[in-house]
Amino acid sequence: MSDYTSDYTIVGKRMPRVDSRAKVMGKAKFTADLKLPGMLVGKIKRSPYAHARILNIDTSKAEALPGVKAIVTGKETKGVKWGVFAYTRDQQFIQIEKVRYIGDEVAGVAAVDEDTALKALDLIEVTYEELPPVFDPMEAMVSETELIHEDFPNNINVHVNIDTGNVDENFEKAYYIREDTYVAPEESYFQAEPYAVAARFDHEDCLEVWCPNGGPHMKSKPLSNAFKLPLHKVKVKKIAIGGAFGGRSEICPVDYICALLAKKTKRPVRIQFTREENTIATRQGHAMITTHKTGVDKDGRVLARETTCYMDGGAYSSTGPIATSVPFLSMEQAYRMESVRYNGYRIYTNKPIRGMIRTHGRGFACGLDTQLDMIADHLGIDPVEMRLRNSRQPGEYTSTKSYVDSCAMDETIHKAVEKSGFKEKWGKLPPYHGIGIGTNSVQTGFPMGIRGGSQSFIKFNEDGEATVMSGVVDNGQGNDNMLVQIAAEELGLLPEDIHLVSADTETTSSDPGSYSQVSTFVGGHAVKIAAQNCREKLFEVASKLLKVEPDKLAAKNRLIFVKDDPGSKRCKASKSIPIKKVVRISLLNFNSVNAEGGYWPKVDMKREWVKNPYGQMCEAFSFGTTIVEVKVDPDTGQVEVLEATAAQDVGYGINPLVLEGQFEGALTMGGQGGMLTEYHEWKDGRCINPTMLDYKLPLACDMPKINTIIVESIDPKGPYGAKEAGMSIAMSAAQGYSAAVSNAIGVYMDSFPLTPDKILAAIKGKKAQAEKKTSKNNAVN
Amino acid sequence: MEKIKITLNINDKPYDVRVFPNDTLLEVLRDELDLTGSKESCGEGVCGSCTVHMDGNPVRSCLTLAMEATGTKIKTVEGLATEDDLSDLQQSFIDHGAVQCGFCTPGMLMSADALLNKNSKPDEKTVRKALAGNICRCTGYAKIVEAVAHTGNPQDHCPDCKTGGKTKE
Repeated sequence: MSDYTSDYTIVGKRMPRVDSRAKVMGKAKFTADLKLPGMLVGKIKRSPYAHARILNIDTSKAEALPGVKAIVTGKETKGVKWGVFAYTRDQQFIQIEKVRYIGDEVAGVAAVDEDTALKALDLIEVTYEELPPVFDPMEAMVSETELIHEDFPNNINVHVNIDTGNVDENFEKAYYIREDTYVAPEESYFQAEPYAVAARFDHEDCLEVWCPNGGPHMKSKPLSNAFKLPLHKVKVKKIAIGGAFGGRSEICPVDYICALLAKKTKRPVRIQFTREENTIATRQGHAMITTHKTGVDKDGRVLARETTCYMDGGAYSSTGPIATSVPFLSMEQAYRMESVRYNGYRIYTNKPIRGMIRTHGRGFACGLDTQLDMIADHLGIDPVEMRLRNSRQPGEYTSTKSYVDSCAMDETIHKAVEKSGFKEKWGKLPPYHGIGIGTNSVQTGFPMGIRGGSQSFIKFNEDGEATVMSGVVDNGQGNDNMLVQIAAEELGLLPEDIHLVSADTETTSSDPGSYSQVSTFVGGHAVKIAAQNCREKLFEVASKLLKVEPDKLAAKNRLIFVKDDPGSKRCKASKSIPIKKVVRISLLNFNSVNAEGGYWPKVDMKREWVKNPYGQMCEAFSFGTTIVEVKVDPDTGQVEVLEATAAQDVGYGINPLVLEGQFEGALTMGGQGGMLTEYHEWKDGRCINPTMLDYKLPLACDMPKINTIIVESIDPKGPYGAKEAGMSIAMSAAQGYSAAVSNAIGVYMDSFPLTPDKILAAIKGKKAQAEKKTSKNNAVN
Repeated sequence: MEKIKITLNINDKPYDVRVFPNDTLLEVLRDELDLTGSKESCGEGVCGSCTVHMDGNPVRSCLTLAMEATGTKIKTVEGLATEDDLSDLQQSFIDHGAVQCGFCTPGMLMSADALLNKNSKPDEKTVRKALAGNICRCTGYAKIVEAVAHTGNPQDHCPDCKTGGKTKE
């Protein structure tokens, strides 16, 4: 059971973040701000073809250019392939035989300055034999041209099949069945910080690397494999990170190339991506074609569902098995689906690589919710009631056999409905005004084998302050502050007494990384346990000094005092002692005050994305509801968002100030951007809107009033009851936005995002249909 | 191309620096003068991460040539705080939780500072308009807009106006 109490001093409070002072002063160092003595500039030669065989690479002219210090090609990598999973090792760090997308890495250059490095790239002569490319995933499966990867027939990279049984039987029992197809193109992360990496080998031949990452240990292991160095010789260092959103989780070929250049030149090298490189040569969100078939009873309860999704995976596997599964898993967590069949296909195409993203499968989720609204419409049920009749309840199992412990899905729906005035507005808004609801659920973690747990070390310094070590990384979401809050709470210190050492592979233990939504649940938990263990040591010493049993003691505000002693709460009673004094007395007695603690979630280790997608996925799930109210201009198709309300069951709100910021940012990315403006356009495999000028990101002036509602279900396993926060909003916001626009124009949309051209076409189509009906009626009359 | 010696007045200090005629102000700030607070995010004048003041007006330093900046007064994010005292705007950003990853923050602060120097009590709409040239991917802008609008105008209804950087209920 949870050890939750409402008597916390530091957690649960609005606390400005510990990292913000350095950031407002311009002092926080990001990778591109690093200057290492003798540092060279690295640049990448990329493929101009979507699919081509490499016949020859001639680097002689480039090497002769003054100022060029090293050039590396695939020859130096010996063709070693890398992949997140053993069965997805399909990507060479530098291509040797062929290139598979426009932007694929062919060579790397290190030079004294950027101009020289760029000139050298032009002087590298690559002879290619063009191969027929394939850009459409449906075509790729039947194409008879050369496979993108020879060992993946039909260009099918990943096939996830989930079948809980009784699907066909239950469709037969259904009162009403619908089958609809929904499409959405690719979207991108557009982290504020363009990707950058700096690398050098130190005096002991250890590789030091700085780069944005979703988990430093996820970077160090593949680098240690590639360079055949023991793990302790690969030091991924802490650095400020300008956003990740799921896109910086795995090793990036340039991490390796940069390190290889550093090795060859024996000097530090830094590679900084342009905005265009950040878009095309890191990761993108998958384009998807999703067909949902849903059968319900008379009351709208889902009896059976069959979903087939085709995902455009681009040129390599990346985190493909995860990305092929999460859109489905999120929905099976949000809604009851006892009888369901899912077939997810991730297909190789000659386009940039797709990976995990904060809004996993907007077309998938919005399609499923749109269809629920259509069914509700047909049955005369309102969308809120439709969701309440199908929503996940605590104590249930998901269709893939994960037990759901804490779950306040219904409370998020009720609270969002009340705050937004949904019931008063539904069906009563003026023409072209609309309101819509979306609900979603996100897993707090995945089974990750030996990397599933996190461990923390804490040491007290003689001045009574503490150093906390944790492998958790902060991509900008506030993880550092979360760790500090937890440590301060448990140790009885103030946040400013905690010195955090984190996200550094040399000094911190392995951690699952922030991309799987477990930083608080697993990493924060580890810090909590380490701090509790450390506090126990303090209490042992203090109990002798205060002459009470250790279990009678509490720590707060830098003091250890006797619980339930009314005087001690004012910190003046004789029965209290400063923590600093306890530490010093302990040291005088030849005992240092330090401790460790770890947390490993009890998940089903046999669960595997493709081979066995059943069993306990993670220990907790978050649930979110977003309601959006919009006004559509019928002449321009422009959408004005009037108000948005986001409610999420986060388990426990460790810092409401940070959570509100997560909700607001998630709603902006998933809803405002994800459903109204953000998508990539292509010409012959080339992304034609890779920059911020062409790819439309939401601006301050676009945003509506956002209401945020933190719902607490106090998860029995989470630290203080906390679980994932923010991602359920990003996903439900996409659904809420799409439902609101559909409601405003009276057309259920099936192609996302909902750009003005699509909205105008839908309005026009609806009008034409109405006219046809009128003229038909007139003819009859 | 030859380097030319110029003098730049940055945060009220003169800097003698040798630049190429095509060097941008951002390149000179970051690479020559180690003032790395100003960031490059888009490199084409869209995102506002490189915003600095030139004679009090916000400019994109990635689109401004260093040579254009001679004879003007440049202010960067490093010039907002005096000694160790943060400006009210910086403190307000901290208190309101307006900083997440922090990459857009310096540019955002400079655009907001320029607005507040001209209009010390801007309404929300004015703030949103003034920040429309600064892209933030993390926050959804709500807390940034609040932080700017409440700088020097603490609001009774706002739980974050009086924290003074401390934990509070």
